[in-house]
Amino acid sequence: MPDSRARDEQFRDLALPHLDAVTRYALALTRDEAETDDLVQETFLRAFRSWDQFAPGTECRAWLFTICRNAHLRTVQRDERMDVMPDADVEALAAAAIHAAARGDGIEDVFAQEQVIAAVRQAVDDLPEPFREVVQLVDLQEQSYDEAASVLGVPKGTVRSRLFRGRRLLQETLIGHARDAGIVGRPRGRGADGESTS
Amino acid sequence: MKHVEMLDCDAVMRQLWDYLDGELTAEREEAVRAHLTMCNRCFPQKNFEESFLRVLAQSRREHSRAAALKDRILLALRADGFAA
Repeated sequence: MPDSRARDEQFRDLALPHLDAVTRYALALTRDEAETDDLVQETFLRAFRSWDQFAPGTECRAWLFTICRNAHLRTVQRDERMDVMPDADVEALAAAAIHAAARGDGIEDVFAQEQVIAAVRQAVDDLPEPFREVVQLVDLQEQSYDEAASVLGVPKGTVRSRLFRGRRLLQETLIGHARDAGIVGRPRGRGADGESTS
Repeated sequence: MKHVEMLDCDAVMRQLWDYLDGELTAEREEAVRAHLTMCNRCFPQKNFEESFLRVLAQSRREHSRAAALKDRILLALRADGFAA
């Protein structure tokens, strides 16, 4: 057991460098800057008080994310969480169909458009739970499927299926946004397989 | 000579995001990569998904309030006995 000073130094060196990442994650959870500050403070206080439970050599950021999420859940007491289990393979193939349609419409470079980039954050914020929190963890916080599963307390397969559904929803939203904004052309009566229907 | 598993387009499309996320085993990753290098149908989709994931990663918002929040956290930790 390290002495108090060594323990504090270990906390400073291993936990505090993740402050920015935890802040981004907390903001994604609360969507409110004031609540974010409170949640981040609570997270680091809980982490400090529980530091003896942290296993050196494991991923500290994922451990902090878990504390952050648990603290958030305790605060808001979500009692009706949407808990669907989409099929990951179906979602992956649906995304392939989106690409085929985009290619057929000549808008394959839609995600390189500046206006689309600007719309991404709002589209992520608007994703329904539980897809948003998985996209936040994997795509914005660069967590692996295993790390996200650990933070969320769900199987890895659930992370995968929710992530793929979230990504597909995002692609549909962003392509729709690009069309509505006139950034890219409207489809010419195409089916999902890219074949013209008109 | 090392054997590389042959995959069809359907199998590659199902695993494309796993591949781009670095979540496949080394053998499966190599099989997907081998398919992508020779498939005119799957390679453009790989580029499409890559640009989508790049846009997502770019959307991370950096916090200008980070320094102020760090000060607040340190203050709270020190009140809790943190001394480093």
